[in-house]
Amino acid sequence: MSYQEKNITVSLVSHLLIGVYYLSQLFQMQQAGGLVAAKVFSLWAIVIVAIIVVNIIGSILTNILLSIVHAIKTRSDQEERFIEDERDNLIGLKGSKVSYITFSIGVLIAMLSFAFGQPPLVMFSLLILSSIVAEIIGDLSQLYLYRKGF
Amino acid sequence: MDKYKVRNNVRKLRFHNNELTQEQLAEKVGVTRQTIIAIEGGKYAPSLELAFKIALVFGVPLQDVFSYEPEGDEK
Repeated sequence: MSYQEKNITVSLVSHLLIGVYYLSQLFQMQQAGGLVAAKVFSLWAIVIVAIIVVNIIGSILTNILLSIVHAIKTRSDQEERFIEDERDNLIGLKGSKVSYITFSIGVLIAMLSFAFGQPPLVMFSLLILSSIVAEIIGDLSQLYLYRKGF
Repeated sequence: MDKYKVRNNVRKLRFHNNELTQEQLAEKVGVTRQTIIAIEGGKYAPSLELAFKIALVFGVPLQDVFSYEPEGDEK
């Protein structure tokens, strides 16, 4: 597994965890009598900040951990080549495209829910959910391309 | 128009160049070993710049490394 694949796997696992947390909180609110604006707003804030922080910190931590593992494995202080080449960039772009399409479909579904009489809280909750799902599908598509070769 | 595919002789050329490893070739042209593996396997068609770099490493013209042939034609 290459450095990029490990990085994407870390990102995928964190997005999955955030998604599970978000859905579980939404279901708990639904069972407790429906979505409450104040609670939903704070949940959105937590999820959005978590996605940003996880993407930045996760990437830095993965880099550090992989460097340590490499140093222990090879018993040298020579740095491993964690480079990103043209194929990595293309796979990244394809992943972003898949994420974008998924998010667009999510936005459409959210708008339709509003058009069919659902409250705005449901619409915005669907928007946030679609952004998490878009990240997950983007990560999966990148992993698929790496496994396939391109 | 028939479907065409970029084919390559990278593996053969590596063998004839003191059995250059994929890692060594990757380092010389500034890409990852995984990219060299994908190129050799015909899964990834490199950019023109990378193709020229690979040809330069082997000291041969570009057409000796890469060719553009109909998909069905297996050598």
